[in-house]
Formats: sequence, structure tokens, C-alpha cells
Amino acid sequence: MDNKSKFGRDELTMQLLLGAFLLSRKSLKSSAAETSFHVDEDFLTAFAEGNLGARESAPVVNHLVNCGFCRHKTAELVRLDLAFDGASDDDAHPASANEPQKLSDVLSGILTRIFGTTDGAVFAHNEKDIEDEVANELDVTKDKE
Amino acid sequence: MQPAVSNEEFLSQYDARLDELFARCVEKAPNFAVSPERFKGSVNKSLLRFASAFPDAPKKEETLDFIDLLQADDLFIALACADGNERAWWEFDQQYRGYLERLSRHLAKTEGDAQEVVDCVYVELYGTRFVDGERVSKFGTYSGRGSLKGWLRTVIWHTLVDLHRASHDEVSLDEMTENAGEGAVHANFLDQPAAGDGELVEQIARNRYRTVTLKSLDAAFSALEEHEKLLLLYYHVEQLKLREIARLVERENSPLRQWFQRKMQSRRDNPQGRIHESTVMRWLDKSYAKILQLFRSELESTHDLTAVEVEICLNLVTEDLGGTDLFQHLAV
Repeated sequence: MDNKSKFGRDELTMQLLLGAFLLSRKSLKSSAAETSFHVDEDFLTAFAEGNLGARESAPVVNHLVNCGFCRHKTAELVRLDLAFDGASDDDAHPASANEPQKLSDVLSGILTRIFGTTDGAVFAHNEKDIEDEVANELDVTKDKE
Repeated sequence: MQPAVSNEEFLSQYDARLDELFARCVEKAPNFAVSPERFKGSVNKSLLRFASAFPDAPKKEETLDFIDLLQADDLFIALACADGNERAWWEFDQQYRGYLERLSRHLAKTEGDAQEVVDCVYVELYGTRFVDGERVSKFGTYSGRGSLKGWLRTVIWHTLVDLHRASHDEVSLDEMTENAGEGAVHANFLDQPAAGDGELVEQIARNRYRTVTLKSLDAAFSALEEHEKLLLLYYHVEQLKLREIARLVERENSPLRQWFQRKMQSRRDNPQGRIHESTVMRWLDKSYAKILQLFRSELESTHDLTAVEVEICLNLVTEDLGGTDLFQHLAV
């Protein structure tokens, strides 16, 4: 009984000690790994989803132990995965449910927002649509004001 | 890949399986205009990468398992989008835009930032860069190993980090992703305040014990298997909760899960059983027990400490952890 409780105390000490130890050494490790390669997004996603076989996983696990950046990334992916768990039913984009939007429409809108209307020449044939869209947005803003 | 057979011979063994896979994809999405050569070319690239992880060519069953694990439908739509197929883009927009927007809003600080991230991702996915006259789409880097949704999650996260870095030139990636744990640890102690002879001797002894404690801890951690180290790092450094770690090993094929379960009766009894938080806790407990054993053995065998001295080390550490942080005693 004594042994058991003593073991529990030491184990708890080890848990706390290890936590403090790992936190203190992680910046050293991740900085060193910054200069080396990182696992690509495709592979990292597959790892986080448990889709890599043992042989492929072994080097990834090894890398994650030493690379704080990739490890942090996988941890974030898992958190996001859980945060958005079961949300797939709502994923469909309702705004355009009835009519297929042209690819050029979608991208023109995005490019306009990012680069401004002057770069709309990439999809010049849609300039009028973009102007209409911007004008509509301005109207909505004015209405709100 | 260094197989006994050539790449062509290796790939030709799976040609029929890829034809079946392609036919299934076409049946589900006949308007995506992906050619069989395009589809098989992409899968073959992944197959060669997979095979390169083996010293010899992988066994046929292993390779077939690999093909079965591919997210073929996701790959199919990604290839079609990479090629600029409008129907595929429409499907993609329908299926994923809402998800991308919510994900982005969840991660970004403002609605404006969130929209910017989604916009950037769309532009990157379509591709505005040309190499040798060909548009380079981000979709081209997706190989179907994980789900498209998971891959998009990674792309969104990465884009956010890139945008953050672009607007904060002075912030390093470490600072962006890991704010805690700053300050390097060295195995030298700070000068202690002046004391009397007796106290000084005690201080020297304490410092010696602290030094060997840290060295032994480092050695013990290094001696763990890689999957054990990763588990501990996820829990202590990345602060993943037990249920989040359980999620990481949810799939019965997950190598992490298999490594942890390989010696356990429960796996033989119920190989497809769900991993509960309590199971992850047990894995952690086992890792603590193992590292404690390695730590003690390191103190005794490498540093020639007696059992009594090992106890002194543990008591010192307990005191340090109870009051100030042990690592505050270390010089920066």
C-alpha cells in the first residue's frame, strides 16, 4: 500500500516536472527545426486524419517530435476538426444554391476585393458585373447608415 | 524508390484497380472532364512516393490498402478544379465555401481578416501564377491522402499564418505559433545569493542534484519511443486535451494507436474499439511510469547516485515545483 501511494506521488512529480521541462525546451527545438524542412500540407493532413501507414508515419512522428511548427499545426488541425465536427450538413453555400455561378464570376469578385477594381482586367469580360456588385454593396452600406 | 522492379512494372500491377477507381469517380461526377491519364498520373505519383518509404517494393496487399485509403472522390474534384472545370468549381463552391468561411471566421480576429483569408485561398486554389505557360493551381498539391476538407483546413490555417506574418514582419513563426516557453534552458545555475559556509555547501550539493536531475530527465525523455514523446509533447506543450488526442488516434489504422496498443490485450480483444479519453490517460500514465523508471535508472547508473540521493533529487524537484519553477533556477 505504501509502495503504491509512494509511486503515485513520484509519478505525479514526474508529470509536473516533465511538463515544465518540455515547455522550457520547446523553443530551442522548434527554432532549430525552422531551418530544416517541414511536412507538406497534404501529408500532414493525412497524418492528422490517421491515413498514413506505419512506415510513412514513422518519419512524420520523428519530425513532429523535433519540429514545433509542424506539431503545433497538427494540434491546431485536430482542434479545428473537433470544433467543426458534425457541421458538414450546413456546409453548403446557400447563396448560390439555385444557379451555378460561373467560375469567372466567383474569381472576379474575389480578385476585385483583393486587388481592387483596376485589376479586373484578368476577367475583363465581367467588368460590368463587378461594377454592379460593388455598386450594390455601396447601396447596402448606405441603407445601413 | 529502390524496388527490385522498375517503376513502370510496379505501377502496372495496380492499373486495373485504378481503372475501377476512376470509373467509380466518373460515375459520380460525369461532368468533371478528368481524363483517365490525368487521374492515374496523380495516383501513380502518390504510389511512387508511398513505395519510396519501403527499402524494397511494398507488398501487394499493403499497396492495395494504400489505394483503398485514398480519398478518390476528393482527388477527382480537386483535379477537375485544378484544370479549371467550371462544373467542378461550382460543386466545390457549393460544398466547401460555407465551411471555409466558418473556419476562417473561427480563426481570424475580424470579419475582414476572415474574408481576406477565404479570398486568398480561392485565388491560390485557382492559381494566378504561370509556369511554362501553365497555370499553377494549389489543388495540384492535393493527392487524396487525407480528406479534401482536412486539407482545406490546413490550407486556411497556413494562409492565416502567412497573412499574419506579412503584416507583422518582425514576428517570427515561433512567436506566432508558440508564445510560451520563451527563454533557452542551459544546464548552468544562476549565482545564488551569498551565504554562510554551511549554507554554501548545502547550496552546492543542491545545485549538483538539480543538475543531474535535469540531465537525467533529458536522457530519460530521449530514451522514450518517438510516439511516446509525441504524445507527451501534444499533451504538455501543445496542450491538447485528452479527447483531442483521442480524436487524433480515432481511426483503427492510425499508426499512433497501433504503436500504443501493440502490447495490449484490449486491442487483441477489440481492435476496432473506440479510443476513449481514459485510454489516452492510461497511455500517458504508462509513459510517466516509463520515464520515471528511466530517470531513476539514469540517476543511479550514469550519475552513481544512491537510492537515498535519488529520493533527495525527487524531493528537491517537488519543492521547486511547489514553490518557484525549477527552471527559473537556470541561467538564461
